[in-house]
Amino acid sequence: MLKDIRFASRQLVKQPAFTSIAVVTIALAIGATTAVLSLVNGLMVRPLSYREPQQLVLLLQHFKSQNLERIPVSPPEFKDYEARAHSFEKLGAFRYTNFNLAGEDRPERISGATVTADVLPLLGVSPIRGRFFQPEECSLGRDDVVIISARLWQRRFNSDPQIIGTKLLLNGKNFTVVGVMPASFDFPLQLFNLGNGGQFGGRADIWKPLAFTEEEMKKRGSRSYAMIGRLAPGTSLAQAQTEIESINAQMRREHPDNYMQDNSFGGDVLSLQDLAVSGMRPALLILLGAVFLVLLIACANLTTMLLARAAAREREIAIRVALGAGRLRLLKQVFTESVLLSLIGGVAGVLLALWGVESLKAVGAQTVPRLREVNIDLVVLGVTLAICVGTGIIFGLVPGLASSRPELTEALKEGGRSSTVGTRRNRLRNGLVIAEVALALVLLSGAGLLIKSFARLQNVNPGFNPRNALTFEVSLPKIQYPDDASVVRFNNEAQRRVAALPGVQAAGFSTILPLAGTNSDWSFAIEGRPSDNNSPSPDEEKRQVSPDYFRAIETPLIKGRFFSDADSADAPLVISVNQTFAKKFWPKGDALGKRITFDDPKKNPKWITIVGIVGDIRHFGLDIDPKPEMYVPFSQSAYSTTICVVRSNQDARTLLAAIRREIQAIDSAVPLANVRSFETVIAESVAPRRLSVVLLGVFAGVAVLLASVGIYGVMSFLVVQRTHEIGVRMALGAQRSDVLKLVLFRSLKLISVGTIIGLIVALMSTHTLRALLYSVSAFDAMTFVLVTILLGAVALAASYLPAIRATKADPMVVLGHNT
Amino acid sequence: MIKLRRLERRYPLGKEKFFYVLRDINLDIEEGEFVSVMGPSGAGKSTLLHILGMHDSGWAGEYFLAETAVHHLKPKERATLRNEQIGFVFQQYHLLDDLTVYENLDIPLSYRRYSKGERAALVADMLDRFQIVGKKDLYPSQLSGGQQQLVGVARAIIAEPKLLLADEPTGNLHSSQGEEIMELFRKLNDEGMTIVQVTHSEKNASYGKRIIQLRDGWLVRENR
Repeated sequence: MLKDIRFASRQLVKQPAFTSIAVVTIALAIGATTAVLSLVNGLMVRPLSYREPQQLVLLLQHFKSQNLERIPVSPPEFKDYEARAHSFEKLGAFRYTNFNLAGEDRPERISGATVTADVLPLLGVSPIRGRFFQPEECSLGRDDVVIISARLWQRRFNSDPQIIGTKLLLNGKNFTVVGVMPASFDFPLQLFNLGNGGQFGGRADIWKPLAFTEEEMKKRGSRSYAMIGRLAPGTSLAQAQTEIESINAQMRREHPDNYMQDNSFGGDVLSLQDLAVSGMRPALLILLGAVFLVLLIACANLTTMLLARAAAREREIAIRVALGAGRLRLLKQVFTESVLLSLIGGVAGVLLALWGVESLKAVGAQTVPRLREVNIDLVVLGVTLAICVGTGIIFGLVPGLASSRPELTEALKEGGRSSTVGTRRNRLRNGLVIAEVALALVLLSGAGLLIKSFARLQNVNPGFNPRNALTFEVSLPKIQYPDDASVVRFNNEAQRRVAALPGVQAAGFSTILPLAGTNSDWSFAIEGRPSDNNSPSPDEEKRQVSPDYFRAIETPLIKGRFFSDADSADAPLVISVNQTFAKKFWPKGDALGKRITFDDPKKNPKWITIVGIVGDIRHFGLDIDPKPEMYVPFSQSAYSTTICVVRSNQDARTLLAAIRREIQAIDSAVPLANVRSFETVIAESVAPRRLSVVLLGVFAGVAVLLASVGIYGVMSFLVVQRTHEIGVRMALGAQRSDVLKLVLFRSLKLISVGTIIGLIVALMSTHTLRALLYSVSAFDAMTFVLVTILLGAVALAASYLPAIRATKADPMVVLGHNT
Repeated sequence: MIKLRRLERRYPLGKEKFFYVLRDINLDIEEGEFVSVMGPSGAGKSTLLHILGMHDSGWAGEYFLAETAVHHLKPKERATLRNEQIGFVFQQYHLLDDLTVYENLDIPLSYRRYSKGERAALVADMLDRFQIVGKKDLYPSQLSGGQQQLVGVARAIIAEPKLLLADEPTGNLHSSQGEEIMELFRKLNDEGMTIVQVTHSEKNASYGKRIIQLRDGWLVRENR
């Protein structure tokens, strides 16, 4: 074996050009495969980094008649579930929360969560310092403790060993640090596809006990907490689901005013692991398919290369056989070479994948859930090793079998040619080129469709103008800003100051920014349209905005008026709605002047008049049609966290320093957080989709490159093989153009057959992309035509060089004359 | 038909050093002549033939073919002239293995301006003339050496060249097959075709009307 490896290494060293091309081919294929495997492993296969994560579930609710799915629960509901459910070892409620952490120079906004006492223990990850929250700390007045992440501990406190017991000034109030969670601990996760009301933002670094207020405990319909649970040992998801349904039935009976008495209301017990991976699953499976195609193309390439080499070594092999080498012995020698080649390429591929994965993480870790956990671990390396060995055997198989059956008499004759074997191998080589072209076309079609879809998505009008607009969040602590008036005062002053800055065209704020991943919906009643148990109150998206908000985001006014400073807290209550809202509830177009209320219409409600209809905004995603939205003046419904949009006539990011100065001139303890251009907000909203497009595009590029290298190799070999024929033809009068045509025609024939097969396979397989396509049919003719032309052109170009070389054949040399 | 003046073919050996394959060749061949070029191995016979056949362009001197100054022609013009005037017969026949006899005969026509109908007629004529109609669908590997060379000659003359160049046309044949080919050459010459052949065989040379002896690249003797 060692001797075989030594000989194989010598052979590879002897032919550096062959070895380099082969290694690069394998490296590209294995690199792509390893990178995707690590994504699949990290995002789909590897369990969440909690204890027995398969036992963890999220409990969300739905109100089907109001089209509300996967919504959070209210505090009274949580308490009911907690008290009555036995399917769970532990249950907890949590909510994403931001903290303003006062610092030495300037305050910093830190992402975090408020959690009930059982949330962290049920995840099964222990603090590296200190302790979890005690149950009694989840009550008002005793909730002034926090647990911080090791990341924050290292970054802000230089890993101070005395951190436990240290007081942090958060939101203007002192909190005592009681624990430090490990750096790898991540909760709440960025869970995509949670739908209405359940999305979580950045990575949490501070956890605070959740103490429900008395007011919260009175509002059964105010749902803003997610519920997590650990299934009791031996309890299945279905059993838990059944129990939750029976608790829901009890709640319906006990609180008939809060729930429809039909099947509209319900709860869903969902596996946390499934939720964490479901968003990326279709894309990952498609990418896995794509790298498999790349791998096949690479195998085809290497097979043709090794076949060419086998032809060149026919005499050597024949001599070996003549000297007594058996077939198995010869096969072993060939496999040693191919597997060695594959392993060398594999090592290069893993290095390439390491770089690729790090690049992906650098680009997408903020926006693609769990991407930061992706790495090339031993599992991935093991699979990669198996693939390398398997690949080596596959691409060594055909040349191996061919070499192990040499036609001795012909091969040993000086200049002898074995025409039957030659024809057989040529057919195989042609078949491989056809397969490569076909596979590359399948991949290219998929990438083409995704790219077109992505381009269409980029061109979708979101309903606002993202250019030259800066966004940032401001969160006001309850201690300093205890009432609506103080919050409104701060925000109005902030807007006035920012709007007055040179270069600023408009500034406005809202409680919720489009495409930023957060949302808030409210039930309401329309005057004159009473609701009952059979027709529930409608529930739609609601945001609080400043008078200049629509001017700042450049969303047009369709009818009526924008809000003004006159729409203050004391003024008559007003509301604006978007076109979809107006059309949905007043299809005849008479929404303006109508009144709605967020109160119980039977209990002396405050009616709110619709004074404006604004353009639709795509809030949930560029690929999701606008939903009905309501906008109320911030002054009439203040909220402690706002997102400011600053419109400028230049790159708005240049204004950041000035804006920060103005905000801190009002209150130096209020930090600007989540500062992003509006274009970045949009880009981040399509990041998972972009990741698929980029990866599939890269793989398609690699496939085309490999296919063209394959075509080049085969045509070069063909030209060498046909040099004699070409020489004869030239001696018989063929012009250079005839020879060029001869080679190109041969190549064109292979490319055409490959293209036809590729198109058929592509048409049969692109429907699998449907889930990732937006506004593009899986059978988009233009895409298929363009990718065919592109591949055809590249493939022809790859044949052109060998064809040119063929025209330079010297008949005198070729026909081997003696002087 | 052919006029060579001070023709020279050399290959560089090093800095300003050359290896001369042909030196100062002056030769006239009239239309209808049958010339045999003889000489030991390495004398430059095949080189001369390939220069006459315009396969080689790296020579110096003057070469007139049918009053046309080949030395002044561009490569494309040379190729056109060659296609109009010259047919070539090889020692190793150089039939294309993957093509049938019929297809091999068709190749030269496919590179010249013949219509499909004309090509079919000419190939049929040639098959008939060489009495190989029955073999038209066979592949070269299914023919004997003599039959292969017969096809080789048929292929060389199918486009009706005025000059037939043959590089040891019987070199790979046994004597009776060789004689058959030489008789064929004589017949073609009698019909007016100019023939220049390279041969080692005195007997084959005797079919010609004139023998040219080459040695070390020099034209050393002419026998008429």
